Amino acid sequence: MRVLVLYAHPVETSFAAALHAAVVEGLRAAGHSVDICDLYAENFNPILSRSERLAYHAPDADRSAVAPWIARLEAAEALVLLSPVWNFGYPAILKGFLDRVFLPGVTFAIDNGAVVPGPARLRRIAAVHTYGGPRWAAFMAGDPPRRFARRILRRLFRPDRAVRYLALYDMNRATPSARAAFLARVAAEMKAL
Amino acid sequence: MRVLIVHSHPDPDSYNASLCRTVAETLTRGGHELRVIDLYAEGFQPVLSREGWRAYEDAARNADGIEDHVAALRWAEGLIFVYPTWWYGLPAMLKGWLDRVWTPGVAFTLPKDGPIAPSLTHIRKLGVVTTCGASWWLTQVVGAPGRNLMLRGCRFLMAPRCKRLYLAHYRMDVSTPLSREKFRARVRRAMARF
Repeated sequence: MRVLVLYAHPVETSFAAALHAAVVEGLRAAGHSVDICDLYAENFNPILSRSERLAYHAPDADRSAVAPWIARLEAAEALVLLSPVWNFGYPAILKGFLDRVFLPGVTFAIDNGAVVPGPARLRRIAAVHTYGGPRWAAFMAGDPPRRFARRILRRLFRPDRAVRYLALYDMNRATPSARAAFLARVAAEMKAL
Repeated sequence: MRVLIVHSHPDPDSYNASLCRTVAETLTRGGHELRVIDLYAEGFQPVLSREGWRAYEDAARNADGIEDHVAALRWAEGLIFVYPTWWYGLPAMLKGWLDRVWTPGVAFTLPKDGPIAPSLTHIRKLGVVTTCGASWWLTQVVGAPGRNLMLRGCRFLMAPRCKRLYLAHYRMDVSTPLSREKFRARVRRAMARF
């Protein structure tokens, strides 16, 4: 499968960067072709502009500013989200990818008031996230990234399997062995995607 | 009360922007002291940069360049967000404001051996005024991530008895002049009591 990896972390030496390597290694070992979208390295601008907002529902509008990312999303058969969780949500640069690229006519269309998927079709979806706080804190806040991946992405793309949600909580106090175990788990899950 | 309004919409002619003006006018009439941050109007940069991330845990440096935002947040006793809900969540612009301004030493502290501790305990009221494309029931089905991020996540960092207010106009795509005016009246009533 062609797998699009949406990766968001500003620092190359972070644990997220190690996860990124594990994701790519696992996917390649399983024979997938991997398109890495490193949002920071690509200098992705997450701000939906006024003109984009006004033309949001017009699929024939000029979307040249985000056309390369639309093409990559439409070419993908699987999606992996990879980022830290900040303040109970995605980093702005990743949220902005949803705002600007997950457009009507790309990820969904509205047909007689009902939302139908596509043309982008994703057969597999996985999300890999690290949380600074413990799981109970995320749970108390309704764990927005988990809900988004497990429910919204599933409804949107209707993948063949349930969304795989891989989370390491309590990063601020995670031991080296907990981190190593999570890296191994992520690589194994990617091989089985 | 000292109230900070944070607004995020790209179009000043939008219904959402007009709701922000309704909020500000009603609160002013009620005798509150206001500060308004209009993130799009001031060209806020929402991406936490590499330098920003390196300084993130250093309370002496993590407010560099956003001192006004930090000061406004520390000044506030009430906080109101006015924004459109996109993909069941906050616009990236507003999410980035949280990423960059709600840092250790400002919004919370991270003790070495304990859990996260709230620092925005001077905020006694949290309000959200938002417009959603989805319906109310679909929002519940998917677990209302945007609402939870605000009312539970952000709320956790405020005063223990902080009051919450959430006003949403759902199904904006099929809204009518009547539904919009009814919602505006609801916003006005809630702000008159804020």
